[in-house]
Amino acid sequence: MVFKARFETTISAVLLFLGLAGLCGMRAIGGPSASASQADEAQESWQKEFDNVCAKTEDAMTFSQEELTDLIRRCDSLQPRIEKLDESRKKVYLERLRKCRGLYAYVLDAKRKEKK
Amino acid sequence: MNKKIFISVALIVVFCGLFCSLALSQTGTKKKRPLPYEYGRVIIDNYSEKANLAPVVFEHWIHRSMFTCRVCHVDIGFAMKAGATDIKAADNAHGYYCGTCHNGKMVADGKTVFQACSRKVNLEDEKRCERCHSYGRKVASDFDFFQFSQPLPKERFGNGLDWEKSEELGLIKPASFLPGVSGQKNSLAVQKDFALNAKVEGMPNIIFSHKKHTVWNGCELCHPDIFMGVKRGTVKYSMVDISQGKSCGACHTTVAFPLTDCQRCHSKPVQP
Repeated sequence: MVFKARFETTISAVLLFLGLAGLCGMRAIGGPSASASQADEAQESWQKEFDNVCAKTEDAMTFSQEELTDLIRRCDSLQPRIEKLDESRKKVYLERLRKCRGLYAYVLDAKRKEKK
Repeated sequence: MNKKIFISVALIVVFCGLFCSLALSQTGTKKKRPLPYEYGRVIIDNYSEKANLAPVVFEHWIHRSMFTCRVCHVDIGFAMKAGATDIKAADNAHGYYCGTCHNGKMVADGKTVFQACSRKVNLEDEKRCERCHSYGRKVASDFDFFQFSQPLPKERFGNGLDWEKSEELGLIKPASFLPGVSGQKNSLAVQKDFALNAKVEGMPNIIFSHKKHTVWNGCELCHPDIFMGVKRGTVKYSMVDISQGKSCGACHTTVAFPLTDCQRCHSKPVQP
């Protein structure tokens, strides 16, 4: 009787251990792909933000000073993210960002001088 | 007596030679006016010769017939000064700069655009490399300037072509959007043309067409890098500065119609 109880406890412990190990294994296997997709998402997010911010250059003249200031701030926060990219991409997108930020700053300056 | 004359002549020749070389070193030599098919040509040699390759010969005329200035100089990121982009073969191989289009995949006019640089190169690739790395070599091109220019309206200077009219007539259709590279933008509100006063009396004033410039360039290609002045009239432009490549000279000494074509800018009729 005692033997049966011990046997059942051991079996339960083994099953529990295997179940936990399985869960950990699943997580371990899923780990790299999850981080890769996170990296992809991070990459996509800077690209989306870049496209969004720099797509507005044609409308720069129509923006208020507050809107232009906000666009400049968004450009500035994009810079460190672009600096982390590979050399070629960094070179291209930093130059594109410089041009786009430069225009917003130029128009903002024009608007400030107009008000004076 | 003969010996004295000989020495005098020799001294005069040496003196003249020294004077001329000194004068030339101070004022420079007169530039040869480029032929129509040479106008806008850029020689790129940041790394080519170090890699035992001929420098790259870039022809603006063929590229500008297909794309607006902003596609290359804003969206792809080419600098406005020759050599300033610092293009590396790896950049092209990764699909940037020349490699944006020259990737062996893009199709233009029914032809696949040849690949610019690749990570692995073998002997068979030599001919492909030579298509760009062609300075000082006789390399056959797919495009012939004379054939290309035949149906286009003519002008006197630069490439000898009226590019603006060519587009108006639909003879060229430069694309202003490159899928996957250019951002989706709203169409630009038409900017007003304005007049700039000429400094010399009797010289017609300049009509600056904002519209013509923004259609091909957008805003950020010129502002603030080329034109920094915010308030009209605060920056003084001079022909000396322009001829040295400043302001209008950034394009109008290299690719767009040259400064010798005075009346294309100085076009406002003079009041009697």
